[in-house]
Amino acid sequence: MTHATCRQGARLLMDYMEGVLARPMRLAVDRHVAMCRLCRGFVRSYAATPRILRAATRSRMPAQVSRNLRVRLEKELK
Amino acid sequence: MLARRASSGDTEAFETLVARYEARVYSLSRRLTGDDGDAEEALQDTFVRVHRKLGSFRGEARFSTWLFRVATNCALMVRRREKRHQAESLEEYLPRFDHDGRHARDVDHGEAARADEVLDRRRLVKEAGRALHRLPRLYRVAFVLRDLEEMPTQQVAKVLRVSEAAVRQRVHRARLMLRGYLSHLVGVEP
Repeated sequence: MTHATCRQGARLLMDYMEGVLARPMRLAVDRHVAMCRLCRGFVRSYAATPRILRAATRSRMPAQVSRNLRVRLEKELK
Repeated sequence: MLARRASSGDTEAFETLVARYEARVYSLSRRLTGDDGDAEEALQDTFVRVHRKLGSFRGEARFSTWLFRVATNCALMVRRREKRHQAESLEEYLPRFDHDGRHARDVDHGEAARADEVLDRRRLVKEAGRALHRLPRLYRVAFVLRDLEEMPTQQVAKVLRVSEAAVRQRVHRARLMLRGYLSHLVGVEP
């Protein structure tokens, strides 16, 4: 049976979440995380990071930017 | 196909492409440059370049993949010209482990998941922008495309012309650093 440490689990998290980890290693990570309180917190914060950064860096294109783009394209592409 | 019509001089087709993709290109440029003015410049450069090079677009890749490659390059060029974004790396926020491979600190590693509840929204926006630009460029670009613009890993690999494994590795390193930085912001050392 394959065993995983916190360090190995952290190293493999992306592959684990993308579903590309080989089955024995995936099961080893599952087993480790089920037993390790620190890793459960780690996985929670790792998974939340993209969502938090995405929301914090979201921007809407101002209408003026869109108008300026058309002015530049008209000028450049004549 | 719209891109093919645009490449043969169909102005209406090109305008449709601009209308369809401008907001996404702006969003990507804004995240990559971290500045409103730079994002606008990159957006304009992208569509000027796309129009000029449409003739060389062979249709082997999806148009959007080619467009986002051009957009990424334009955004990075704008930033390079500015040369004002030198910042310390986020390496120090990578997780630490003891010699047995266990977490070095017995702290609540899940706290960073609450950063958006704990921190004032304005501070979080400011810190998120700063943190993104403290990532090594390779990691930042992959993270922005994959996690912020939510492109599938396969498409990011095509945009960046690297393997999917390389994309996963870069995004992973970025997530680890940013996770650690969020931990630090909420008062827990990673």
